[in-house]
Amino acid sequence: MARNKYDIDERLETPFDFKHFKRALVYVKRYRARIITALTLSAISAVVALIAPLLTKEAVDVAIPRGLETGDISYTIVLSVLFLLSVAVSTILGNIRQRIMTKAGQLMIYDIRKDLFAHLQDLPFQYYDDRPQGKILVRVVNYVNNVSNMLTNGIINFILEIFNIIFVTIFMFAVDVRLALVIFAGVPVFVAVMIILKNKQRRAWRMESNKNSNQTAYLAESINCVRVTQSFARETENLGIFRRLSTEYRKAWMKAVRINNLVSFSVDNIKAIVESALYFVGLLVIGYPSIGLGSILAMTNYSNRFWQPIINIANLYNNFINAVAYLERIFETMDEPVPVKNIEGATELPEVKGAVEFKNVTFAYEEGKNVLENLSFKVEPGESVALVGPTGAGKTTIVNLISRFYNLNGGEILLDGNDISKVTLHSLRSQMGIMLQDSFIFSGSIEDNIRYGKLDATDEEIRAAAKTVCADEFISGLDDGYKTEMYEGGSQLSGGQRQLVSFARTLISDPKILILDEATSSIDAKTERLLQKGLNEMLKGRTSFIIAHRLSTIKNCDKIMFINNKGITEAGTHEELLAKKGDYYNLYMAQRFENEETVTA
Amino acid sequence: MFQIKWLWQNLKGYRPLYAAALLLSIIIQSFFLIGPMIVQQIVDIFISSPDALQNINTQRDLLIWLCALLIIFVFVRTVLQFICKMMYETVSQGVLQDVRNKLFEKLQNQDMHYFDTHTKGDLVTRLTGDLELIRHSLAWIVMMVVESGSLFIFTIIYFFSIDWLFTVCLLAVTPLLFIVTRMFSKRSGPRYVQLREKLSRLNSRAQENIAANRVVKAFAREEYEKEEFDKYNREYCEYNQEAAMVWLRFQPYVEILAQSLWVIQMLVGGIFVINGRITLAEYTVFSGLLWTISNTIRNLGMLINDMQRFFASVSKIIEVFYARPSIVNEHKSAERPRLSGDIRFEHVSMSFDGKQVLKDIDLDIKNGETVVIMGATGSGKTTMMNLIARFYDPTEGKVYVGGKDVREYEPDVLRSNIGMTTQEVLLFSDTIDGNIAYGRSDMPFEEVKQYAHLASAHFVETMPEQYETIIGERGVGLSGGQKQRIALARAMAIRPPILILDDTTSAVDMETEIEIQDNLTKLDFECTKLIIAQRTSSARYADRILIVDDGRIIENGTHEELMKQKGYYYEIFTLQNGGADDEEKVV
Repeated sequence: MARNKYDIDERLETPFDFKHFKRALVYVKRYRARIITALTLSAISAVVALIAPLLTKEAVDVAIPRGLETGDISYTIVLSVLFLLSVAVSTILGNIRQRIMTKAGQLMIYDIRKDLFAHLQDLPFQYYDDRPQGKILVRVVNYVNNVSNMLTNGIINFILEIFNIIFVTIFMFAVDVRLALVIFAGVPVFVAVMIILKNKQRRAWRMESNKNSNQTAYLAESINCVRVTQSFARETENLGIFRRLSTEYRKAWMKAVRINNLVSFSVDNIKAIVESALYFVGLLVIGYPSIGLGSILAMTNYSNRFWQPIINIANLYNNFINAVAYLERIFETMDEPVPVKNIEGATELPEVKGAVEFKNVTFAYEEGKNVLENLSFKVEPGESVALVGPTGAGKTTIVNLISRFYNLNGGEILLDGNDISKVTLHSLRSQMGIMLQDSFIFSGSIEDNIRYGKLDATDEEIRAAAKTVCADEFISGLDDGYKTEMYEGGSQLSGGQRQLVSFARTLISDPKILILDEATSSIDAKTERLLQKGLNEMLKGRTSFIIAHRLSTIKNCDKIMFINNKGITEAGTHEELLAKKGDYYNLYMAQRFENEETVTA
Repeated sequence: MFQIKWLWQNLKGYRPLYAAALLLSIIIQSFFLIGPMIVQQIVDIFISSPDALQNINTQRDLLIWLCALLIIFVFVRTVLQFICKMMYETVSQGVLQDVRNKLFEKLQNQDMHYFDTHTKGDLVTRLTGDLELIRHSLAWIVMMVVESGSLFIFTIIYFFSIDWLFTVCLLAVTPLLFIVTRMFSKRSGPRYVQLREKLSRLNSRAQENIAANRVVKAFAREEYEKEEFDKYNREYCEYNQEAAMVWLRFQPYVEILAQSLWVIQMLVGGIFVINGRITLAEYTVFSGLLWTISNTIRNLGMLINDMQRFFASVSKIIEVFYARPSIVNEHKSAERPRLSGDIRFEHVSMSFDGKQVLKDIDLDIKNGETVVIMGATGSGKTTMMNLIARFYDPTEGKVYVGGKDVREYEPDVLRSNIGMTTQEVLLFSDTIDGNIAYGRSDMPFEEVKQYAHLASAHFVETMPEQYETIIGERGVGLSGGQKQRIALARAMAIRPPILILDDTTSAVDMETEIEIQDNLTKLDFECTKLIIAQRTSSARYADRILIVDDGRIIENGTHEELMKQKGYYYEIFTLQNGGADDEEKVV
């Protein structure tokens, strides 16, 4: 799928069917016992609630007239007490039911969100790279919240209403089949209207969820990149874009709501027509004495009781259609394939000694466009390897493959002789220390940020790691030292300081293989030099891969590999490569030359 | 209530329509009272009357007319309802959009400190979840209040006209009701404030996890993340349950109070009928309309619940609405004149949170100069740049650009004269073309290409969709060096008189860096260049080199001058260029 941006709607390939609903039921089923309890309580309280109108009727028909005659109000009082009792019972039962369902409903929401989040953790970089972050966020938070109403009340009410309909239908047919059919004749019309509206409604709500997602994505991105916006003084123009997106959203909403409102409009009218038809047919077509007036009266009552649940169901249906537009997005994310996962029978990778071997590795991000072709090399345990070459040549790709962030298109990668595709991802990655180009700082204290590399690290270990990477000095200088709370993204630190913190985080994880991808690019030369010294100790006995552009960092490595043209064009020590007078030599001389030029200029 | 006043202000432009919608609501309510009367007519005349059979034969037409009237009546009512609902939607969506746009605008103009102290997830919550409550309040809460209220008042007036004492007896529950609902709203209010907070935290946590997905994978911390998120998810779930429970704890009392109306009417009404105070027919009228009162009471709890949620959320929105940035940008100037690229710092000191970052900086940079700024990480280099573009105001001293204090310019004018790249490259999820043309969106494609070339972003043309390639948010999918070059092209493309490059070539390979440096000398517009760099190689075209240390400029001069000084610059120059001979062998 092509990359998505804020103003592109996300297409959905799967057409709607009831499978989303069925799938949502999986979450419902976990709380089967509670739902059955709730249903039972509802049924009981419904029956008890039926007593109340009987009591009021009894009061009007019997108790009050009797009181009029005799002046005795005791029967009225008895009825009142009974009434209060029945109300109390049905209220309490109803209340318990609501408590059960509210709890269950919230738990279902919790479950869905948990599963969605868990799946997101397994999704590859690619998934995150392909769409704005806001579009993922909106699914985890807003969309899941949006289906909560359907799950808490929708399902149980739906079941209750269906029972109501069945119940009334039986009574209807028992009283008079002909009039029952008249009442029933409205049903096909209702169904037809629903079917006609359904597709439009589906499309409209899908559109609404898309526009919602676009708007949120742009919003999230605008907050993330507000600095750039301000520095280019583009606020006014961006407001224009946001206005466009929010207008699109409003229109989509209005359209969806218009169709939703047509549903209750249709049902109300069908109901009215059926009711009129009932009088017309009952009184004029069939007529007395073929049908009793009492039956007609009863049937008009049933007609109401039959159509009210249908109206309720129509409203639930609206909610449901609306919720499906969100559910399908949630499930779509949950169904997103996880390309890199443990194979069946994956074994734990034993403690790594550090021999890395690439055997005829071929790799492509997109089919047919190989980034690496037949790449083979061997690294001995404890060796440090520098990867150099033009940007975009595949240096980062190579180190990403060692951690198996992607599957290979050909060949294999061996770690101490173990094929990395046959071991568990966790056992593999937890032995790697990868220092990325972007140093991400979590909100929380500096200490927590370093501890992310080793969750049970003691304060001493954290301090030691910070010292090794020369971060101790600046951290101690902060107001609360290691306990200093970071703003989101660590914005109170300089770029170099952020790199140092993330460096400490990598070191503390005690990796067997260390991968530094432009790890020190923002660190000043002096600090880097100090850092190097600390690192020397650290690197002893560990295999390391270093991507850097600074010669001072590169030339001390045991081995330098020049990456270009989908593979290694040169490999060897600094001296060997210089002697070769190839790509590396040119690169090196270019930098040296210009420096000397400056010196002599 | 301030929240309601605020909402009222934002209804501007929609007030007549909203008033019309509310009026229509009330009219529709009367339909619900009148509607059953038609049916009653049919029943009275043709079914329950002793002359029913005769009436069927003699008044056939009336029956047909009544049936038709029933259909027409419902049709008219549903049409009105439809119109009315759409009016509510139009108003609520309109207000929602207006407020959302305004909030967006406010956020865009907030100062950096605001974004440091508010998490993104929280801000997103305010503009999504919290705003939703505004829609809900206009389209639902107010409508319900008006509908239930009008029905309630209709009925009460009608009741009074029949028998005042009976009505007063029925209303005897209201003081009790008042007490119960007051207690309830006192308890539920804080709950919703907390719940909203939990939602915001959930949002922040999820947002951070998504942003940090690479780090999470690099450390194989998926399980840890799941556990962490679970805490927030569970907390939110529990608070949701709790908030609902507050209402459910009160609901039985309210329900019983609502139902006790029937008891009162049965008991008191019964006694009154027996006493002869009212007739049985009047009693029937009371019992026929009592539902309007009991429904109102029943809805009360739900309405109060929703209102508390509304207050909790709207307070958060109002906070954004009225937060004043310390640096105000009103976007008033239609023109953005080109300034001269002189920059001057006059006794500039800067503190963040009481920590001094810059100490009495004096600096003069002439138009067209190329200045390379070096120094230890955290020494204040980036802060200096931020002061030039006035992202912050200095605690002491003044910064001049083009001969004028930066505070005298409108930020739009000042900033459109500065092309800036930041250390942490921020790109947009847009095409490469759109990213480069970010500062000048009407830029012709040819120019986009030209600036991409100047920034040595040749890789773009090897991509299948070239400049139309959509890059992920923050440029994910591109390597660090590639991102930096796009950001550089973006900064150059506005042809600024001042170009600030903050560590822009740190991840670019050496050959490309040299190419970029060459290109920078060949820009076809006059431009002061401030380049923050770590590699001395960056300094080769510099007119001047500044060394910043611990908030002070400790060295300031040409390469030769600084080499002679044998200070910081000399040290790192020899460190980086001394060659393998005198350098200690590392690793």
